[in-house]
Amino acid sequence: MKKSSSEKRRHVVAWVNKAEWDQVLDHLYSKDPALQRFALQRVSAWRGRYAHNTPVAVDCTADLVRGQVLDRSGQLSGDDLVLLYGAALVRFVNLITERQQGRKARPLRRLAGKLNIPEWLVDLRHDFTHKKLPTLKWCRKGCKVVLEWLQQEYWSRQLGGGAGEDWESDSDGEEEEDGELRQQESNLLSRQKEMEAYKTTRELLISYERERYQSLDGAQGDRGMAPLADMSWLLGEIKQLSLDSNDLLVDVLLEDGFLVPTAEQLETLGCDPFETSGSPEPRVPQPIQRFWLPLLKMLNSPSFIQLVMEKLFVELKVAATEQTDLRVFYLSAWASEILLCNSNKFVFRFERKTQKKARMKDRIFMNRIQLRWQQLLSACLDAPCGSTPHLLQLILDDMEHPLPQDTQQKLLQLCSIYTQTPAVEFSLPREQKHQPIYTLESLHEKRRQQLRRSGETSESGDLQQMDVQAEKAKVLRGSPWQVCSDKVLWKNFPLGKVPGQSDDPSSLMVETYSTMTVCEQPVEMESSRGQNAPGVPGPARATEGLIWNQSDVNRLKCGLKLF
Amino acid sequence: MATLLTHKWLFASMLGRFVDAQLGPNAGDVAEPDSAGDVSFSTGVRTALGSNVGLASAVTSLLGPFTTRPERVVVVVGATATSTKLKLPAELNSSAGTIREFSSLTASIMKVNKNIQVKGKPQKWKDVRSKRCRSSVKSSNLNSSPVMVKMVKEHQVSIKKKPSLKRLKNKPKTVSEKKKNSPCGFKKLESQANGCSKFALDDEIEDLPDFMEGSESVHINGMETSEESEEVPGSRLEGEALHHCAQRGNQQNRAVLVMQKNQTLCFRGKCIVTCLYGRVEVMGFTIDEGQKSYPLFSPASHCPLTLRALGHTDYVRDDRTEASNILEDYLSAASRKKLVKKVTPTSSIILLDPLETPLTHFLSSFTHLSELFSPPVSELMSAVLDTPLNGLGVIPLASNIEGLKISRSCRDALGTVINACKGDLDGCAVILVCGVKNVGKSTFIRILINTLLNHTSNVDYLEGDLGQTEFTPPGCLSLSTVKEPLLGPPFTHQVTPDHMIYYGQSSCEPDLDGYLESLKSLWRRRPQSREIPVIINTMGWVKGFGFQLLVDLIRFLPVTHVVQLSHGFSTQCSPLTPDFLRTAQGYQTHPPTQTALDEFSESHCPPKTYTHLNVQSEFQGVARQGTATHQRSNEHRELLLLGYLSQLQSDDSGTVRPLHTLTPYQVPNTAVALGVIHCEVAPSHMFYAINASLVGLCCLAEKVTSKGGPVILSQATLCPCVGFGVLRGIDTARGLYFLLTPVDPSVLRKVNCLLLGAISLPSCILTEQPGFEGEIPYVTADYSFDLTGAGKIRVFKGLIRPSLMGVIYRCASRPARSPDLQR
Repeated sequence: MKKSSSEKRRHVVAWVNKAEWDQVLDHLYSKDPALQRFALQRVSAWRGRYAHNTPVAVDCTADLVRGQVLDRSGQLSGDDLVLLYGAALVRFVNLITERQQGRKARPLRRLAGKLNIPEWLVDLRHDFTHKKLPTLKWCRKGCKVVLEWLQQEYWSRQLGGGAGEDWESDSDGEEEEDGELRQQESNLLSRQKEMEAYKTTRELLISYERERYQSLDGAQGDRGMAPLADMSWLLGEIKQLSLDSNDLLVDVLLEDGFLVPTAEQLETLGCDPFETSGSPEPRVPQPIQRFWLPLLKMLNSPSFIQLVMEKLFVELKVAATEQTDLRVFYLSAWASEILLCNSNKFVFRFERKTQKKARMKDRIFMNRIQLRWQQLLSACLDAPCGSTPHLLQLILDDMEHPLPQDTQQKLLQLCSIYTQTPAVEFSLPREQKHQPIYTLESLHEKRRQQLRRSGETSESGDLQQMDVQAEKAKVLRGSPWQVCSDKVLWKNFPLGKVPGQSDDPSSLMVETYSTMTVCEQPVEMESSRGQNAPGVPGPARATEGLIWNQSDVNRLKCGLKLF
Repeated sequence: MATLLTHKWLFASMLGRFVDAQLGPNAGDVAEPDSAGDVSFSTGVRTALGSNVGLASAVTSLLGPFTTRPERVVVVVGATATSTKLKLPAELNSSAGTIREFSSLTASIMKVNKNIQVKGKPQKWKDVRSKRCRSSVKSSNLNSSPVMVKMVKEHQVSIKKKPSLKRLKNKPKTVSEKKKNSPCGFKKLESQANGCSKFALDDEIEDLPDFMEGSESVHINGMETSEESEEVPGSRLEGEALHHCAQRGNQQNRAVLVMQKNQTLCFRGKCIVTCLYGRVEVMGFTIDEGQKSYPLFSPASHCPLTLRALGHTDYVRDDRTEASNILEDYLSAASRKKLVKKVTPTSSIILLDPLETPLTHFLSSFTHLSELFSPPVSELMSAVLDTPLNGLGVIPLASNIEGLKISRSCRDALGTVINACKGDLDGCAVILVCGVKNVGKSTFIRILINTLLNHTSNVDYLEGDLGQTEFTPPGCLSLSTVKEPLLGPPFTHQVTPDHMIYYGQSSCEPDLDGYLESLKSLWRRRPQSREIPVIINTMGWVKGFGFQLLVDLIRFLPVTHVVQLSHGFSTQCSPLTPDFLRTAQGYQTHPPTQTALDEFSESHCPPKTYTHLNVQSEFQGVARQGTATHQRSNEHRELLLLGYLSQLQSDDSGTVRPLHTLTPYQVPNTAVALGVIHCEVAPSHMFYAINASLVGLCCLAEKVTSKGGPVILSQATLCPCVGFGVLRGIDTARGLYFLLTPVDPSVLRKVNCLLLGAISLPSCILTEQPGFEGEIPYVTADYSFDLTGAGKIRVFKGLIRPSLMGVIYRCASRPARSPDLQR
């Protein structure tokens, strides 16, 4: 599966920059053996970097070029060369076709054909492995053709751009392609289905609205039986729909023109669209709430409410960034309405019975629902807008497992700072109220002072860090190691780059060096390798380790039977 | 160079021809069939559900600034808080945004710096528990409040009062004793013992969880037993139950959890656990009340951790009031009241604190690891959300995720080994653990070490698994002394081993002799007078030469126990019993001839004996390479290295400093030698290989002298390694290497050799260097993997390719874990 990200993925490669790549490519395909040798040596360094991840094409090219170089040097006999070329060609054919190989083995010939590798090269490979060794002439020809192929298929096309795929997620041949096709088809189908479902949902909701308007009008005029029946049928349909695809229903509900009314709808219902928007504590105007109440009451279930809440916040985030005020207002109003419904606070304790009855009538649901508070909290914070502090307050008040008190306060405060709403009056602890108010200027001032104090030595001004470095330097004194004391802003230099280093790909060449040969010393090799070791006695040896003492060795020698 | 390579090629070529000639003319016509039917191709990252995971952790990170790391507020205000959900707009900085509490917050940062070390007494079986008082969880890693300090003090006091909480050495636990104390516990134990345990098991072995297994028949040394599933009425804490028995702290972001005996909590995430009351067990390690706090890591990369309440059996006490007193410090009155109702004499109460260390900060700074401590995709549906625990980074899992599964045979083996360690064994127990890859060796060893640490303060550990090392970066053989329990995957407990050799490959196959010699040499460095158990981990390569190496190891080292893990009914390799070893062919050793045997039986030396224990692994996905995100073994290796490199982060600040911003060490290139272990690099091009690479810091015995220019080893040797570094840059003009390393300067001064191996720097270290617009060395976005030959060599599992033998590329019959090559 390809990543459709617009930004290309970055990969680690063995060459420091494009210049080094170009240089190596140029040298590999030059006719000058000295340059080719240079390129081969560089590829050896690449192999060192890549560990076992060297690209197959690079490996194969290097192997073939090596054959060419040795051929031109005239140091080897024809028979030697045939073997060298042979190994390189066999490896090329096998390794390059390996990725084409599916789970079932397929003939090399076919795989090579797919890759535009001439058939006679595969035959040549078979000659090497199974038949009489080919002549040197054929070897040279094969090598030349393969190198050309590699240049065409790999070197010249590489680093010219192309979709990024991972080292790890290489495609697995045909099977995956087939799978992809199938998946595309099924995607298409499901999308069509989705579209249909979406349409029916929309239509149902629109007819619900129509019915409601009619019944509202009807409340003033004559009231027939038919509309009511229609309504219950509609509600039944919608209920059914919600059972099938809750998600879709909520999505549509939250579109403009439904729970978020359009200006016209507001007018029809007799609300002033600009009356309430912008208030930090939004409530849904009563007519609108009443308008939707039958539907919401019918759909009411914990999972539905949870879903609505989550979607509300998701939509709120989008709306808030798009600055659509009306939408923001209604979304947050509905959110706060639902939260209030769920609230277990008895703020209405002193109301009269009739009042209570009236209030209950307007509630979407009666019983407290256990919502997923943690999710709601993060969703709420994810969608900052003017009414976020209010919603946050509601959520915090209502959480099943409340956060620590001061955490709540800090959250609220930070939230109101962020949304730049007039801070809700917090009951700050006394001592905090008397603390100076920090502004950005005071922070700057503080920083400046700190810098001055540290003598402006380093930009970070991190005194502690300096101490640590000094301590390290002290410990290292007397050894070749030291803490780098150059005044270098290391953060400006990525790994692998130092101040003053040029971009020239030859800048890291070592002209003079001394070689050192170490015998295999530290892993104290025993002289007796491959000895016959009869079962080593266990516990008796435990104390002295595994080194056999002289008498042991003697005994072993007795037991030896030489052949 | 050219000649050497030529030789290699000539040999390879001839070898190939020879083999093909033997096989006949048709063998190579079709590219060798692969037996890769069982290779499961990774299905890639399923991101569709991914968004659900992050919510809880998002809130954690959001609350982080207020609760755990007050100083982070500054970061938030500075509009650089990309990790927090609540990004502050830049305009705020210029407008008069006021932060009243800023100073009070910073002022309240307090750290517990009381690092009470248990000193001395490394020998044999000591009652170590009472000394492990609660004081430090690497205290520098934790920002604790005054409450924490108070708590620490209180518990130190309480420990003084009750010095003998922990079981004593060889304390016989008679049934009657149990009966007297907790009758209900007795019943369970009895029924459990009905099975097959022929060993006198320590109670905690019996306590190891197996109640998830259901009824299964298990083969133990030919004896078949069956267990009833309902014998242990343990249950998973999940769903609603968690709401009732857990409460959030009233002041800090922490939670208190009441667990009934045998109840379990399986979770993803990370936390610090403190046992306030009773006793709980994690990965074989028991934590008593009064014991210090331990960090738990349960990332998506490994099997989730399971906390299990054991209840205390020691004495009856007035549980409610005592519990109420304990809880007073942590909970508000209302939630305390709710919780106390749940407390019975056998329940345990644990305190969970959020865990933020330089390691976790460092890891989360890489985008692909941001979800590391969230449940993997397969567990998303089982994650219990919105409990009081979620807020502090613990995501409980429902019981359909079984967590760590310990088979009966595994428990028996543990019991035998523990008993042997406690018993009158001459010298120390030397336990070699072997088995095919992905069979659970490391997990078994972790449980074994943890269980041993219940009794002793130290366990020695000899690392023989190059691919999946426990305490070091991969590619190392090492000898470590383990003092702390292993309550998380290896990357969370990277420590400096006592001795280490950088082998430089993630498999031992390129140099078998070197592998054996290194292990032998490490063994010799172990003080032989030490009387603490040694655990030897081995590779997952149990076929062919790999098996012969195992035979050699058993012969070379004074092994007393061989634990052989296997799975299913097929045998992965022959059982390495003492009898088998009498005639087995090793790589370096050979079985004695018959005459020699006779001679030995006459002599006073008895033939080598040891206990052979067969363990059947039964967990889900046994012997299969993990394919989910973070679970492939190359990802594990990457995590190991990141874990190691996170030591470069300074302890105290919560901000992550990318590697390239750190001040490096410098050393003249004439003073240290350079070498490449895994391939041949032309000396004049050496810098191209080693620049911005991971290098092993080694100490050669010889003095390094230069006749001018950098010193290059003609051939890298296996030599003592003290740690790793990133060769940050090379100043060719001044002849300096710049190196970043967490190795202590006092050790660094002795380093005179830098070795490059096949263990490369995690790619994210290079690709995710913030602050650069243009080109970064060794990083490109233009490399296309779609072109033919652009990828690395792909090897099918089980595909034998004789033509590759002798060349350093890996053969198909490769040992150990190398998913990257088996795909």
